[in-house]
Amino acid sequence: MDDLKVNQNPKLGSIDRPNSYIGRSVPRQNAKKHLDGGGQFVDDLTLPRMVHVAFLRSPFAHAEIKSIDVKNAKQSDGVIDVFTAKEIDEVCKPWVGVLGHLGEMRSPEQSPLAKNIARWQGEPVAVVIANSRAQAEDALELIEVDWLEKDAQVDMETALDPNAVIIHPELGNNLFWTRTVNQGDVDKAFKEADAVVETTLDFARHTGVTLESRGIVADWNKAENKMTIYHNGQAPHMMQHIIAKHLDLNEGLVRIISRDVGGSFGIKVHVYPDEMAVTAISKKLGRPVKFIADRLESFTTDIHARCHKISGKLGVDKNGKILAMEIDDLSGIGPFSMYPRTSAIETNQVLNLSGAPYVIPNYKAVGTVVFQNKTPMCQYRAVGHPIAVAITEALIDKAAYKIEMDLDKIRKINFIPDNSYPNKSPSGVPLEDLSHQASMDKLLEIMDIKEIETKKKDDYEKGILSGYGVISMCEVTNPSPLFYGVGGAHISSQDGASIRLEGSGAIHLSSSITEQGQGTEAIMKQIAADQLGVKLESVRVTLGDTDATPYGGGTWASRGAGIGGEAVLKAARKLKDNILNIAAAIMQTDKDSLDIEDNNVIRKNGGEGISLQKLAETVYYRGHEIPKGTNPELLATASFLIEGIPFVFTNSAMGCQISIDQDTGIIKINKFWAVEDCGTQINPKLVEEQIRGGVIQGIGGALFEECVYDDQGNMQNATMADYLVPMAYEMPDIIVDHVTTNSGRSIIGAKGAGEAGTGGAPAVIMNAINNALKQVGAEVISQPITPEKVLKALGKI
Amino acid sequence: MKAADFSYHEATNIQDAINIKAKDEEAVILAGGQSLLPALNMRLSSPSCLIDISKISGLDDIKIDGDYLFIGALATHSHVMKNELVLKRMPCLIDILKMVAHPAIRNKGTHGGSIAYGDPAAELPALAVATNAEIIVSGQNGDRSIHAKDFYLGLFETAINQDEIVIGIKYPLLKQEQAILFEEVCRRHGDYAMAGLIANVNKIGNKVNDLSLVYFATGDKPDSADKTAKLYLENGYDYSNLKNSLNSEIDFAGDLNSSSEMKLHLATILIKKVLNKLEA
Repeated sequence: MDDLKVNQNPKLGSIDRPNSYIGRSVPRQNAKKHLDGGGQFVDDLTLPRMVHVAFLRSPFAHAEIKSIDVKNAKQSDGVIDVFTAKEIDEVCKPWVGVLGHLGEMRSPEQSPLAKNIARWQGEPVAVVIANSRAQAEDALELIEVDWLEKDAQVDMETALDPNAVIIHPELGNNLFWTRTVNQGDVDKAFKEADAVVETTLDFARHTGVTLESRGIVADWNKAENKMTIYHNGQAPHMMQHIIAKHLDLNEGLVRIISRDVGGSFGIKVHVYPDEMAVTAISKKLGRPVKFIADRLESFTTDIHARCHKISGKLGVDKNGKILAMEIDDLSGIGPFSMYPRTSAIETNQVLNLSGAPYVIPNYKAVGTVVFQNKTPMCQYRAVGHPIAVAITEALIDKAAYKIEMDLDKIRKINFIPDNSYPNKSPSGVPLEDLSHQASMDKLLEIMDIKEIETKKKDDYEKGILSGYGVISMCEVTNPSPLFYGVGGAHISSQDGASIRLEGSGAIHLSSSITEQGQGTEAIMKQIAADQLGVKLESVRVTLGDTDATPYGGGTWASRGAGIGGEAVLKAARKLKDNILNIAAAIMQTDKDSLDIEDNNVIRKNGGEGISLQKLAETVYYRGHEIPKGTNPELLATASFLIEGIPFVFTNSAMGCQISIDQDTGIIKINKFWAVEDCGTQINPKLVEEQIRGGVIQGIGGALFEECVYDDQGNMQNATMADYLVPMAYEMPDIIVDHVTTNSGRSIIGAKGAGEAGTGGAPAVIMNAINNALKQVGAEVISQPITPEKVLKALGKI
Repeated sequence: MKAADFSYHEATNIQDAINIKAKDEEAVILAGGQSLLPALNMRLSSPSCLIDISKISGLDDIKIDGDYLFIGALATHSHVMKNELVLKRMPCLIDILKMVAHPAIRNKGTHGGSIAYGDPAAELPALAVATNAEIIVSGQNGDRSIHAKDFYLGLFETAINQDEIVIGIKYPLLKQEQAILFEEVCRRHGDYAMAGLIANVNKIGNKVNDLSLVYFATGDKPDSADKTAKLYLENGYDYSNLKNSLNSEIDFAGDLNSSSEMKLHLATILIKKVLNKLEA
């Protein structure tokens, strides 16, 4: 055991005892499996009689399909069949990506394959089923489509203009959803303000770029009426419901198996038309069908995210106190709202989260979400956070510059005080157990702004522009039923855990939370072993199988540790209680005098105990030896959900220091600091991995990543050579530290840790760049902040 | 993303490869495959046959050949970077190759492949032009040597004939007073540059008395900027003058990461960055 972190949660018991795994960076056992190449991903699976598919995808952003001729494709070598919308629609009902709890959303029905009209470049139009993927791709070239290319509505900013191309004529215009939040009286407050600052920021579309692309094998068993789906998703039970509903199957006979998953980031929690087509094909053919998205398909059909333009205004008094904030956000989501979570949530989070760390008595936010002929957009890691945090923190820096106040000071005097929770965000969202003050203090302690300021001055003398930023943010984690369920989505906000002691003395745990590479299995094991009093290696874990795990929501929105972990904790405590009851009966003593340590029931006062193996053997094989009336259950199950509030929020503070090459516009991030308060850390190393990985994705958003489209709606950079994600060379030193405020909603006290870096890094990097550029009167307002944008801001080109 | 069908021929010697290539216009040479295989999988290219020359022995030699450093076509970038002769006689090549993609790609990608493919954004074609290298090709009529500056004709277009294969590159050995200087600007380490420059410098002490400039990632092939080099020799570094000169001399073509205006700016700045290295 290494790296013991002081566990500040008294509800979890003393850390100074055997098997206290919570709070320790124990190595994760499944990492060795992956290093050894022993993972089992969807593409590793081969089933008897399995066939492969390739999709014909629209080459146009908007086009009428006048006719499709599949005759020649059907004759191609190895081809089993070719389907268009007509055949797929016979077995799969369309869906609509709207929910009922956020006001009116308008999105049309969407089917697996486009019929009559294709609405984005990459939308599936026909599908070839063949003995190999290569043969299916050969046949794709033989499908003849008579296309009539239509004008495309590419630009979100003109989507509501009178002369816009209306993507869905039945809706009358391209508006999907709009929401206004209005607290207090911003107009009055702006009049009273001593300083008012404004800005407008642009955020390009980008996407999640999972290491493993989307994949599915659907296996319809006619005799049993059973559909088995091997899927690299995040929410098996949600998929079980959706596949049953749209293919008209008995939900109980749909099994979703998600073994190893190579990254997801929210990309894999949505319902994709090509994946639904694959399940429909299996149903039609009665054969297992495999589809693995290739990288080109990933770029043009995985959901995109961001794509916002946001204007903001902030009013402060002469002492720096914020009086009012106003934002107006526009976002373009492609031609359909995604199912079942809808594509409204990113904008909704922008409205909810902007200004969230601060006391802002007057707050107004308007969000507008429009359709366009681009890849559908939906929830990706840190949904809405980068936009909300960037606009808030950019405005605060601007106000600080205007009234000549230090960047940390203006924040400190406006924080919602740590001792004032429960409280509310400026948008009215309930907040509790946050620590902006303590986190900023910690950040300033590890960052040393004085030294950075001195270096900045020295650099400037030498002709180098350097700068820094500090920010604070709230993160949406651990959602309650008020997130999706209340709106009518069959997405469980409750998660379950089941734990048993087996005859061998081994512990088996299953949970409805899923693993996508972040270490879910490891932390579940730690919680179970810690609470039960057994060695880590005696616990094995089953995740990602609707036939083998309790029912629940899966892994998304940083809910695994806080919700799923609490369920494991409760189940482990129940099992421990059962074990001690049995042991007390066998040992003829009082239960309270017993405990479990290192896989043995021990007498707290000393004396002979009994191993769990012996106890299990007695219960299972020689049950007659147990006193009559003793409950023999060595199996316990528990569930947990967040009640009463929409989310358990997490907070963090971040800083970074950058320098700019004025000749080339290249930005170098010299150092990055992150202080996170995610409550109890079950495995500090895994928390740090979440933060570091998130920061890297945030650097991607801030400096590199963009889905580039031409005027006709063709994506220009759908390869890993042209779509730039940060790589090892682009990763700076990241210093991670923590403040711990446990969530009062659970015993375990854990909050989510997965959103901070991705959500906060774009804001702090942009602020640091503008801090540097300010020395020469320049500014950047558009992400990604490319060298060319920097040189333009500097007037060099 | 699966390649269309093609036949595959593992060449046993150069003549064997040349014979097939002469007969089949749609056959292509497979060396390290680092550019070819992605193109096949994306179905951007569907050749009839891949002639695999990677098993031909003796094609990866690195040796001194008279006044030249000879690098065999099949020498991988990693191999070149670790070579003692290269380190002693042409150390700039090691610095340049460090900027070519990443180790996994450099372990497979070959020197001859990069020269023959002629990507206008790649470093080695520009280096060959800047150093007045000779590109040795072998065909049905035997071997011939092509001056690098005559080798690159246009976008991915070279002076190589259908029946010919690049077998090696001869770099003139550097003289005492000569330096090859290199600099590029890219979004990420290992990416194709937004603009890059290789300068071939003759100096006395730190004073430049002769200079040639060859750019990459600026147009459709390695771009020589002789007038601009001359202007520099006459007037020294003057941003506006050099920029105007480059603008008239090179047809800058913008790409996803940098507009033509950006490339022109970077090309100008690169002269300063490269020549600053003389002092260092």
